[in-house]
Amino acid sequence: MCLTLCVCVCVCEIVIVFCARSVSQVPVAEGKSVQQTVEMLNRKLEQLGAVKQGNFCVDCETYHAGAIGSPGQPPKFLYVMHNSEAPLSCFALFENGPCLVADPNFDVLMIKLKSYFQNAKSNKVESRGARYQYCDFLVKVGTATIASSARGITVEVEYCPCVTANDCWNLLMEFMQSFLPSHIPGVPSMFGVKTDGVYSPSDTMAQYLELFSKLRKQQAATGSGMR
Amino acid sequence: MEAPPVAVMPVTGGSIHMMEYLLQGSVLDQALESLLHRLRGLCDNMEPESFVDHEMVFLLKGQQGSPFILRARHSLDRPVAPWHLRYLGQPEVGDKSRHALVRNCVDVSASHSLHDFLLEMGFRMDHEFVAKGHIFRKGALKVVVFKLFRILLPGNTENTEPLSLSNLVELSVLAPAGQDTVSDDMRNFAEQLKPLVHLDKIDPKRLM
Repeated sequence: MCLTLCVCVCVCEIVIVFCARSVSQVPVAEGKSVQQTVEMLNRKLEQLGAVKQGNFCVDCETYHAGAIGSPGQPPKFLYVMHNSEAPLSCFALFENGPCLVADPNFDVLMIKLKSYFQNAKSNKVESRGARYQYCDFLVKVGTATIASSARGITVEVEYCPCVTANDCWNLLMEFMQSFLPSHIPGVPSMFGVKTDGVYSPSDTMAQYLELFSKLRKQQAATGSGMR
Repeated sequence: MEAPPVAVMPVTGGSIHMMEYLLQGSVLDQALESLLHRLRGLCDNMEPESFVDHEMVFLLKGQQGSPFILRARHSLDRPVAPWHLRYLGQPEVGDKSRHALVRNCVDVSASHSLHDFLLEMGFRMDHEFVAKGHIFRKGALKVVVFKLFRILLPGNTENTEPLSLSNLVELSVLAPAGQDTVSDDMRNFAEQLKPLVHLDKIDPKRLM
């Protein structure tokens, strides 16, 4: 199975996103495939007492701003993301730039803008998996795929009662230690930047974007080696 | 106790074929009260809803001939309400006997970061104005009677002056493409507003 060849280089990212959420990275288990590691994490959660509540999906499409901007400027990438946790919303972001939360008609608008923003369909990243509830926590373990090939694992941990990110980071870390293998993520970079400290869904999407960008870069790096 | 399953797929896409059917007219300030009085009688909502909106028109210039136009609108009297982004296509050149102007319309509700986001996308603001008026509904028909105000200092919505001595009246319906009975309903309604106001289809291209 060609996936096992990728295992040693592909890292599974943990997206920790909480009502207060956060994102980070976890290596795939030694000698196991992406799918096996995901199953292992799911079993651990079930052993803890978490209850499976359906599935989730987070996806990210890349639009390339080709026709606009002055020559010599680096090309701009616009990312349009969707999250099954917010099914009636569409998120549009620029990396390290503003984030727009809009309704699903924004996708229709992007079709109208197709001569200005081209959809790089091969760059679409998706993370799908099971959604678990454990007391006040929501955990989503997903397989991140780029063009139908599994590239990593995302784990999203949400602590529902809290909206102030900095107040519950320690609690999240402690909870993560109970089911994640050794590697626990550091505080996500954006928490330092937040002035008012109130968490919002666009912070979640920004974290997923950072994660997906890392996966894309890794794919680009290994892609040339694979041939 | 089994928890109900959560939706698997995020909802993507909207409707690409929504059309706006439009009739426009105007009334002088002196005649405004009579028109509002008649609309109160004809329309669904007993008390008309008033609004104060700030609209900005953004252009995106590409390599193609005409720029892409987007209209971003937000409420000044209900600041918490989401922003409204609107794309309007070219009027359909079709049946001359069709009573209303028909054009493709895409409406998107957006968060308050819309202005900065459009600038980041490469849009530049072309012009802005404040609209103050009333909105009425009759079934799917929407009647908006409003006055346009010119903004004297860019970005300052407190300092405005009226653009003219009249009020713009717009009768519109949002419907999927192909429903031509809509324009007949609109014409029938417009008949009831005569002679206070004459609503017509006005091709924006002819004004340029």
